[in-house]
Amino acid sequence: MMVIGSKKITQMAQNMANYEQGKSHSLWVDARRRFFKNKAALISLIVLTLIVIFSFGAPYVTPWSNEEIDWSILGSINEKGMPSIASKHYFGTDDLGRDLFARVAQGTQISLMVGFVGAFIAVIVGTLYGAVAGYFGGRIDSVMMRIVDILMSIPYMFVLILLLVVFGRSIIMLFVGLGLISWLDMSRIVRGQTMVIKNKEFIEAAIAGGSNHLTIITRHIIPNLLGIVIVYASLLVPLMILTESFISFLGLGVQEPNTSWGALISDGAKTVLYERLWQLFIPLAFFVAGLFSFFFIGDGLRDALDPKDR
Amino acid sequence: MKSITKILTAVLIGSTFLVAPVLAAKVPAGTNLTADQTFTYRVGDEHSSVDPQIVEDVSGSELVRDLFEGLLNQDALGNLIPGVAESWEASNGNQTYTFKLRKDAKWSNGDAVTANDFVYAWQRLADPETASAYAWYMEIMSLENAKAIIAGEKEPSELGVSAPDDYTLVVNLTAPLPYFAAMTTHASTFPSPQKVIEEFGNEWTRPENIVSNGAYVLTEHVPNERSVRERNTMYWNDAETVINKVTALVINEESTALTRYLAGELDRTEIPAGEYPRLKKEYPDQAISFPRLCSYYYSFNVSDSGPEAFKDERVRQALSYALDRNVVTEQVLKGGQFPAFTFTPGTTANFDAPDVAFGQITQAERDAKAKELMVEAGYGADNPLKFELLYNTNEDHKKVATVAAQMWKQKLGIEATLVNQEWKVFLEVRGKQDFDLARGGWCGDYNEASTFLDLMTTPSGYNDGKYSNAELDKLMTDAKTADDPSANYTRVEEIMAEEMPIIPVYHYTGVYMMSEGIIGSWPVKNVEQNWYSRDLYKVE
Amino acid sequence: MFKFILKRIGIAIPTLLILIIFSFTLMHSAPGGPFTSERKLPEQVLANIEAKYGLDQPYYKQLTNYVVGIVTKGDFGPSFRYKDRSVNDVIAQGFPVTLKYGIWSFIVAVSVGVSLGIVAAINHNSVFDYLAVGFTIGAQVLPNFVMAPILVIIFTLWLGWLPGGGWNGGQWQYLIMPVIALSTSYMASIARIMRSSMLEVLNSNFIRTAKAKGLSNRQIIFKHALKPALLPVISYLGPTFVLMITGSVVIDIYFSTGGIGREFVNAALNRDYSVIMGITILMGILTITFNMVVDILYAWIDPKIRY
Repeated sequence: MMVIGSKKITQMAQNMANYEQGKSHSLWVDARRRFFKNKAALISLIVLTLIVIFSFGAPYVTPWSNEEIDWSILGSINEKGMPSIASKHYFGTDDLGRDLFARVAQGTQISLMVGFVGAFIAVIVGTLYGAVAGYFGGRIDSVMMRIVDILMSIPYMFVLILLLVVFGRSIIMLFVGLGLISWLDMSRIVRGQTMVIKNKEFIEAAIAGGSNHLTIITRHIIPNLLGIVIVYASLLVPLMILTESFISFLGLGVQEPNTSWGALISDGAKTVLYERLWQLFIPLAFFVAGLFSFFFIGDGLRDALDPKDR
Repeated sequence: MKSITKILTAVLIGSTFLVAPVLAAKVPAGTNLTADQTFTYRVGDEHSSVDPQIVEDVSGSELVRDLFEGLLNQDALGNLIPGVAESWEASNGNQTYTFKLRKDAKWSNGDAVTANDFVYAWQRLADPETASAYAWYMEIMSLENAKAIIAGEKEPSELGVSAPDDYTLVVNLTAPLPYFAAMTTHASTFPSPQKVIEEFGNEWTRPENIVSNGAYVLTEHVPNERSVRERNTMYWNDAETVINKVTALVINEESTALTRYLAGELDRTEIPAGEYPRLKKEYPDQAISFPRLCSYYYSFNVSDSGPEAFKDERVRQALSYALDRNVVTEQVLKGGQFPAFTFTPGTTANFDAPDVAFGQITQAERDAKAKELMVEAGYGADNPLKFELLYNTNEDHKKVATVAAQMWKQKLGIEATLVNQEWKVFLEVRGKQDFDLARGGWCGDYNEASTFLDLMTTPSGYNDGKYSNAELDKLMTDAKTADDPSANYTRVEEIMAEEMPIIPVYHYTGVYMMSEGIIGSWPVKNVEQNWYSRDLYKVE
Repeated sequence: MFKFILKRIGIAIPTLLILIIFSFTLMHSAPGGPFTSERKLPEQVLANIEAKYGLDQPYYKQLTNYVVGIVTKGDFGPSFRYKDRSVNDVIAQGFPVTLKYGIWSFIVAVSVGVSLGIVAAINHNSVFDYLAVGFTIGAQVLPNFVMAPILVIIFTLWLGWLPGGGWNGGQWQYLIMPVIALSTSYMASIARIMRSSMLEVLNSNFIRTAKAKGLSNRQIIFKHALKPALLPVISYLGPTFVLMITGSVVIDIYFSTGGIGREFVNAALNRDYSVIMGITILMGILTITFNMVVDILYAWIDPKIRY
């Protein structure tokens, strides 16, 4: 599993904050230009778009659904289950004769959704929490951050397993579980950043102008956090997907007949011995391509938004 | 495979059962044994315990059968042969059993095995202090006072078993039980060493403490990795034991186990579902499939908490008819399993499986009937039947359930949602009637049809669907005292085929890869698969 | 520094307590108890068993007894599933296993990752650099539950070099595949971070000054660039270590090592309350300690940071 570069993001955030004064608008324009110059990021964006299009468009291309069993193939997967145009199983079938093309498409949808929703929850919770802590400072900040410290010390994977085992498995539980784990780092970064922003003159002006706390937080501080939040979120998505794949391997993830990248890969890994290699390599290709893309996009965003770039 | 009933009928007249030839590894003349007599096999998970009165799982029982020895054993065909008991006789209308123990049986520390060891063990099994999950076995063995002792109302010393002298064991039952002797091959009834248990408490089963009376002693145990047992030179029949060392390796993933088998690290492993034909072709002398005394089925919840639809017999029949068992056994599992139209496997001793009506017609005819029934019951495209199919988390169960759900969907337009839970939750949920249709798998505790059919009686604690039929109850009660209960059993299966409280799916087979050295001595005809390492031998 | 350590320890205790209470509550609200079994226990027997294990007492009492037991006797209680072992036994047998291959994986991941990152940074834009980047990204996304069975097929079945699993006391042949499977993705992460951090430092002003002053490359790299470049890597070591230990579940399953990760999942599935609690607490202690060590290390390297 991967770890996210929070230190680097903090650095970038500081750079951004210092750069902020007076030049807020063109930063974004600059960033966009830099991002599109980054070949790797650009290609990744295209790849990702293609993957998304595939996952939603595939059902229209194939006659098979993701759960329908092809009875004529069922007993002889090794002989007839390979990818072929003739049988209309473009990616072959899984061990129960279900079309892999449709299943990969459906699995992609779920995995991407897990990634995005998980990251989204983390971002919302983490940003609000960190912004509030950083803004109010003092006692409130102390207590809030202590809580984060304590939560960070909990071996979260174990807790996630416990949650899934106790509350039963469902997509919702997975989102909740993943989201609960990942907002901690984000809140720390946001809090640090908020403290820097808080001391800027334009905040003082707003306070002097009579805006209340909520307005200041939502209208002034949070928009300025957008940069780091975006970057962190884009790095969080692949982490969510990887975690989900581990949970699926344990059998605690998505439920039949639905599937996900993680479930497909872990099933495929078991059949390598029986020479049904397509069952592993095709979903794995999607998995790797998807994660690669998120990596490069995240990196690209970070490089693009950091004004102190080399 | 012959009828225990026939033998026991003779016993009813009060005659003593003759001593059968003592058997351990019967090595055919002229066999070339290898120099290295070790047997290494895979288990899917760590066993629960090797304490005979505590053990509750299959891999644990395999260990216990090697480490300890009970009154009686089973030969390669599943027939009863003497163990620690040389002979036995039933009297008092099958309500009293007297066992005569051999005088040369010893524990691995040199102490003699006496009848008191059995009295101690059986009392211990029933004792609430032991908190054994198998205490109920004492109850179904019908020993006097068993029920009260388990409930804590009487002292364990009042159990209906006694040792008038060191080598005689007398058992008193509350009701006549013709097949009582067969029940003593079960691991829970094996003797345990009182002195050792009192000295070491819960730690008595550790390799450094354990004392056992079987053909092997436990020499190594690394939880979740391996356990090793080696020849017990004190065993009374040690001369006939061939295998010196048995190692059980814990390997969770079936495919990894197969990989390691092919790499030569194992002598035996399970063949994953669907792979048997291919492996049989490639390794004809190593892949093997044989019948086992177990039944795979789906239970309808017909209690009040169950779906309305399932109270309609036609719906239950339709679901059972539309399930294409041949697809399951020949295309999904491919291990030579037997499509099941009765609950009790046909290979059960003394059981005449009736030719139930729906088993006689073709699948196409069954499908047609199923459609009709559903329409009659009022379900169709405008009113689809919906329910949840519950099974415990496992690759193979998932496959069968997925296939079943698809069949029902395509043929009858039914929407069955698959729900899987891990074992503990599954048992709890199923036990509370919190399900619609749930998977079940039952292996016989002894080789007689009642071990299956008792589950369908109203008072049975394992009747999770809460099915109740007065005629069936009466037939099963009468069967316990009947001279020849097979007519009762046949009638019970017929009732079940009409009312369909469960959907029988298939009867198990044991599907294994076994190395060429060991496969010759494996007791493939013993459907209960009570195998003993002391009966095995390895050839060149 | 000393005050810092004390403060951290001071936080550690309430953290642990919260962890205990949280896990305990969670476990007890799970459906299915440790004694649910297919051969259903008659009411009375079930009641007996539960009494024997103290499960019939009210929640508070159970919790208090439990905590007291740990603090005063270091006794985590009996395992509910393994009747002849206590939780201490389970941990004592499984933990050294996980620790051994965990530490080895950690050492391998850090040393190979750091070296790879440094060399790639020094040879920026060379073939080696591109290969290294390719490897790091590829390896980072390859889940170890895909790698493990493939490793067994290659090394045990095809080549016959290594045993397919087991632990056998931890001899080196049994360590190799688990370590490879576990360390690879972290090795890649570390290499990536090391490389980008090194690149940044090498381009910074003070390194340029050192070059201008005529210092040799070796001196520049090892005496001046390495220390600051390591900082970001160190701040990952904490979460990396924890992730490794949790990822060890896969290793335990595929290589039958008998480690603590597998025990935990088993315990969770079997509702073996005391084992779950024992391992969770152990992991909590490890996490807290390791994070603290890493923070200290970080502070020691970077004198600007003082708590």
